[in-house]
Amino acid sequence: MNQERRAQWLRGVLDLCVLALLSRGESYGYELSQALRTYGLGTVQGGTLYPVLLRLQRAGLLTAHWREGETGPARKYYRISPAGSAALHAAVIDWSAFTASVGAILSEEPKR
Amino acid sequence: MKDNAWLAALTGELRRHGVGPDLTGHVVAEAATHLAESGESPLRVFGPPEVYARAVADSLGGPDVRPPRRHPGPVRLAARGITKRYRGQTVLDRIDLTVRAGQIAAVVGANGAGKSTFLRICAGLLSPDAGTVQVHGALGYCPQDGGTAEFLDPDEHFVLIGAGRGLGRATARRAGRAGAAALDWTPPRTQARHLSGGTRQKLNLVLARLGEPDVLLLDEPYQGFDRGTYLDFWHEVWRWRDAGKAIVVVTHLLNQLDRVDIVLDLTASQERTA
Amino acid sequence: MTRILVVAESALRELLRRRTVLIILLLFPLAFYLSRRGDHLGQSIRFVCLGLGWALSTAALFAGSAARGMEPRLRLSGYRSMHLVLGRLLALWAVGALLCAPYFVLILVDQHDVRYGAIALIMVLTVAVAVPFGLLLSAVLPRELEGTLVLLTVVGLQMVMDPASTATRALPFWFSREIGTYAVDHTDSGYLTRGLTQGLVFAVALTLLVVAAAAVRLRQRRHLRIA
Repeated sequence: MNQERRAQWLRGVLDLCVLALLSRGESYGYELSQALRTYGLGTVQGGTLYPVLLRLQRAGLLTAHWREGETGPARKYYRISPAGSAALHAAVIDWSAFTASVGAILSEEPKR
Repeated sequence: MKDNAWLAALTGELRRHGVGPDLTGHVVAEAATHLAESGESPLRVFGPPEVYARAVADSLGGPDVRPPRRHPGPVRLAARGITKRYRGQTVLDRIDLTVRAGQIAAVVGANGAGKSTFLRICAGLLSPDAGTVQVHGALGYCPQDGGTAEFLDPDEHFVLIGAGRGLGRATARRAGRAGAAALDWTPPRTQARHLSGGTRQKLNLVLARLGEPDVLLLDEPYQGFDRGTYLDFWHEVWRWRDAGKAIVVVTHLLNQLDRVDIVLDLTASQERTA
Repeated sequence: MTRILVVAESALRELLRRRTVLIILLLFPLAFYLSRRGDHLGQSIRFVCLGLGWALSTAALFAGSAARGMEPRLRLSGYRSMHLVLGRLLALWAVGALLCAPYFVLILVDQHDVRYGAIALIMVLTVAVAVPFGLLLSAVLPRELEGTLVLLTVVGLQMVMDPASTATRALPFWFSREIGTYAVDHTDSGYLTRGLTQGLVFAVALTLLVVAAAAVRLRQRRHLRIA
């Protein structure tokens, strides 16, 4: 995929992806970046991811706390808040409508 | 280790960008964790420290921690009815300004509105046609340019100004170097004439602060500063305010005005008379 | 006292770092000396003394002008105008003494049958007069060029005017020629007394004027009250 275009698209939806991933259970930055990669979104660098997490936390959509891992350093775990769940729910509906519209335009057969 | 250097730089940059100490700790620790787990280079994951710090600051939607507003103390500077005419033109018309301990006053206005003139009158370097200035405590003044001796190096400046304030050599040098460090500057053993404009202004600013005067008059002291130093400068000003100093800053940059306590707009006064 | 010494030290550092100026300053009187070395030994002494006065007043003029930008700030930092003036005078007098020393040795070696004591006296008076003279010019005339032109005029007049005419006594370095005559031509001590008196009067008067000019320029303005 065109790298630049993907980055551009991602910018609009990264916060939704993060919210969605966290709606399945708490996680931390590095794990989230791995998960995004697994889903085929490529490498989302920390420089992009953490500011998004911070913004969502400041907006009250996420809560965060530090916890010592059994091995390795302490991690900052994020958990979705009720407000975050509500925001995600609303955004999922908007997103479906949006992609449907875009899809309709893009998939229409050209006229002969 | 390379990571540590990057993390240290990030800490400094976050501070410069107005991120408070607590959050800075979190952001840096989180980045350190990520680097430890991914084993990747910090430049690859986060980019240059200043870029990442700006992204963090932007995601906060403005500075995280504003300097706490304390109750202002006693009046340190009181200018009353300051009037100054130049060749029949009234530059300053009955200007009043009261600054208390723990307050910052910004003097703003267009070019030629008399900002520097007003400050020079407050410093007693110029006589007004009418009006009085009362200062309670010692006065520190940082001119827009000049104010340094071409052939002396920064340490010699510290000693010279320090002696006036009653500081011994070693004390003055230490105080000067500490003030310079706050602006992220290590004074070289170079004569002032060989310093760049911005660096000379740093020297100027440090000199104005030497001996901890109670009232600080700063005439656009940040000219030639890069963005980082400019932010450092405002952080220093806020720190001085919190230490109970009364500060008057001449500025034409309006984006800092929400962080000061008093705004004196001289453009208005001039238009009123015109 | 500490303040005066710190000002003097700083001023001295500044002066000593102007290498080119120092070299010119040092060689300038030598040119005067050598220009008259051929025709009349005594004349070369008179010229070198005038040259020293000229060089030193010029140095003082420039040092005074260079300090103008810094002085208001020093005044605000707790110095009195007296500290600043005395410190600078001290530094320049020291430079003057340093400047004269090699020329005195030169005369000692090169010239015979002259009154060395009187020549030393000329040099002391020259230093005492030239320094406040240059500083006063820098205090009165805002631009260095104007000051330099005045110096040029004064020293030029000093050289061409007949020292016997009373008008030349109003020139600051008149004593130099008067005592010079005493030293070289072994005239009566009247020359010495007249020269010494004029030199002392000028040295004291010029110094007082410099102090006064600084006190006025760096005065505490009436509108400002510092409690």
